[in-house]
Amino acid sequence: MGMSRPHKYQLHIAEPGKAIELTPELRMETTSGRSSSVIPQVPQRARRGRRAAAAGLALATLVLAGCSPAQQRGFMPGRADGQEVTNQTERITNLWVGSWTVLVLVGLMIWGLTIWCAVAYRRRKNDTGFPVQLRYHVPLELMFTLVPVVMVLTFFYFTQRDTREIEMHVVEPDYTVNVVAKQWSWDINYVDQNVHEPAGIQSFATGEVDAEGNDAAADALPTLYLPVGQSVEFRLDSRDVIHSFWVVDFLYKKDMMPGHTNSFQVTPTTEGVYAGKCAELCGEYHSDMLFNVVVVSQEEFDAHMQELREQGNEGQLGVDLNRNQEEWSMREKHDDAGPRYTEETASTGTEGENE
Amino acid sequence: MSIETTAAPSTSVVGRFQEERPTKLGTQIFQLLTTTDHKLIGKMYMGMAFAFFAFGGLLALGIRTELWEPGLQVVVSKDQYNQLFTMHGTIMLLMFGTPLFNGFANYLVPLQIGAVDMAFPRLNMFAFWLTLFGSLIVVSGFLTPQGAASFGWFAYAPLSDTTFSPGLGGDLWVFGLALQGFGTILGSVNFITTILCMRMPGMTMFRMPIFTWNTLITAVLVLMAFPPLASALLALGADRRFEANIFDPANGGPVLWQHLFWFFGHPEVYVLALPFFGIASEIIPVFSRKPIFGYKTLVGATISIAALSVTVWAHHMYTTGAVMLDFFAFMTMLIAVPTGVKFFNWVGTMWRGSLTFETPMLFTLGFLTTFIFGGLTGVILSSPVLNFHISDTYFVVAHFHYVMAGTVIFEMFAGFYFWWPKMFGYKLSEGIGKLHFWLMTIGFHMTFLIQHWLGVDGAPRRYVNYLHEDGFDWMNQISTVGAFIMGISTLPFLLNVVLTHIKGKKIEVDDPWGYGASLEWATSCPPPRHNFHSLPRIRSERPAFDLHHPEVALQDHMLAEEPAANPRTN
Repeated sequence: MGMSRPHKYQLHIAEPGKAIELTPELRMETTSGRSSSVIPQVPQRARRGRRAAAAGLALATLVLAGCSPAQQRGFMPGRADGQEVTNQTERITNLWVGSWTVLVLVGLMIWGLTIWCAVAYRRRKNDTGFPVQLRYHVPLELMFTLVPVVMVLTFFYFTQRDTREIEMHVVEPDYTVNVVAKQWSWDINYVDQNVHEPAGIQSFATGEVDAEGNDAAADALPTLYLPVGQSVEFRLDSRDVIHSFWVVDFLYKKDMMPGHTNSFQVTPTTEGVYAGKCAELCGEYHSDMLFNVVVVSQEEFDAHMQELREQGNEGQLGVDLNRNQEEWSMREKHDDAGPRYTEETASTGTEGENE
Repeated sequence: MSIETTAAPSTSVVGRFQEERPTKLGTQIFQLLTTTDHKLIGKMYMGMAFAFFAFGGLLALGIRTELWEPGLQVVVSKDQYNQLFTMHGTIMLLMFGTPLFNGFANYLVPLQIGAVDMAFPRLNMFAFWLTLFGSLIVVSGFLTPQGAASFGWFAYAPLSDTTFSPGLGGDLWVFGLALQGFGTILGSVNFITTILCMRMPGMTMFRMPIFTWNTLITAVLVLMAFPPLASALLALGADRRFEANIFDPANGGPVLWQHLFWFFGHPEVYVLALPFFGIASEIIPVFSRKPIFGYKTLVGATISIAALSVTVWAHHMYTTGAVMLDFFAFMTMLIAVPTGVKFFNWVGTMWRGSLTFETPMLFTLGFLTTFIFGGLTGVILSSPVLNFHISDTYFVVAHFHYVMAGTVIFEMFAGFYFWWPKMFGYKLSEGIGKLHFWLMTIGFHMTFLIQHWLGVDGAPRRYVNYLHEDGFDWMNQISTVGAFIMGISTLPFLLNVVLTHIKGKKIEVDDPWGYGASLEWATSCPPPRHNFHSLPRIRSERPAFDLHHPEVALQDHMLAEEPAANPRTN
């Protein structure tokens, strides 16, 4: 062995060079993973910190008992009065809080183990030698593989159960609203009443505020009206790029794909004004693509529909309009960017139907 | 065996065989341009990656400053902001993270398996230059009149088509990345060949260092993920330049692009993570003075993660309404299992160890505590019910910075501090290193922890602006201050590098840490041109440790010869 150079952590071996005999005692000790007398061992420290753990538990109980409503919802947005915004928000919040509770415990355990190692097994000033060179422990490894598998299966069970509920479509919703996204606003059509909100006009948020301290841009946002307690099917379209329809307090969003209609159903349960945002990058003014959802009583809703009809907003602002509201199809608009079809295919009409 | 297998003398021979360092600047540049030495190419990859890291970081500071309060503060137009985050994401993933993997793997793999170089040295060199020039082409978009690409780093069609993003920057992005991707693919071909064919006698697969294992698995993953990206990019390029209509909405193109992109994009995050998990697996045993706990489970976990990672891409697409939610949710949740196994293996390695906290170990502990939180939020995101609300918000931004930056950046610095003596022959200052670590850790958590709340509260990602009534100001301001602390934390590192090379003491021993395990610690610092003058016997996964601590190795060896008492040897 050519290793005799001085080392920062000099090993202390009783008799260097002497052959190590594998005595029955040593064999037994090493087999059971305990310390052997041949290689100097780092002393094992007694387990500590039980008192600290108990104190931590008591503290956690105190903290949880003093939670505000927002904290009890796991900081999920919602109404200050604690009422559920839609028929789905309670389900989502429950899964959220339940999942986080388990995950935080798992996290605390692993953080705890890591910090424990760093504190309890740190090398002290006068430590020499090596700890037990343990390489594996099959039962332990099986355990920390199988326990997470069980946890994952449990989480999947609850997820799947709730996903099915949230994505469920009833055959005949009370109302159908068709929202058409465009760079960078929204056209809102009430399908059953065959009326629409005035064509959405893009806001320009500049950071300036009005007299009441509200953002100046928030005044002219498109507004979607819904009657409280009625199931609504949203049919989502896009005229240009991908957008995403997100009403924050509904805790739900769905993408709006050009060339494909997405849909979801929900029943708003509490009257109020809720902020909506585009959640998929859609170009330069993505952050200006805001809207409001107003949930009102049935009478107010009917009155608003009547008002729209009287204003002449009858019919639907369909997906075939382009974002300038002129009677061009998306395909034709696209053709302005350059020749996309040869004259032969155009004349034979093989380019397909417009969406 | 033709290789001399006596224990290497630690100091004497090295000096004589040490290659003459070229002194003239011209000679040095010539050497950089023409080298096929895996060590130099590795350093060049790391240098390139670090330069892009700094550039991407500056872009991030621009983003964070812009979000200080409602209104426009930094950018002149909103499109400029979109350029900032598009290029920040692109740079950090493909010009910083991926080349950094190539850098570490290039430098370390031949050393760790006792090879003289990579299997294809000239292909290696070619791959580097493809990566560099591809990257330069992408960022040169900033020099064009309409600026760089601004459609986000996942370039969703049809926003990324010329109809909606007409600028030349988009074309440079598409074709530059395709070129760059070929560099990564060729690099991985090289890693796989090297690892499979050039291991020294005795270096069986199950004696390879974990870092080499992870490089092998990552390279396989690259070969699955990057070709789809390259083809998708070329198809997008054809759409942009030749009106190919591949991603036309009329043909279902938007969803097709998302599938192709995320079939690359999800494995890509594991391409970034796995090698850096490997670095953690190299560092923890050394500073715990124990072998890695559960070597084979660890390898098995890495293989499982890689296998699962190609089955989960559509969890990025829950909100499209075009994918089977249950399948992708289940596969995504399953990834938590092998990831958890890795954690327990790392903790098991430290358990009843004898830990010291040199800078590499500090950064690795920082990685462990950071990454676990990113893993937990990943489990949350895997559930479609919860994902519908937080998808495309700052919650996702926070999540992937915890997993990606938490892994890549923490482990990059851990690796730098750990292998700096090996690469340059000087040890970085421990004092400055610890200052660097604490600044970065505080800055990091200050920047990203609060973003979880921002996202849950309703802040979409990629918004240049927000309204006063949103009430996001204070959270954004905490995040921005944190980002600047994190940015400043890089300065001590640079100072450390400069001071070390001015005043540092030359490392005279093979293993300055004292407990190095893998073969690179059995050669000089820095290694000679062909890596080894003599190689030790490989009798375990810790050949350098066995060489330097024969009394510990002997005990294991004797246990191995006694079948009855053989519970622990591999």
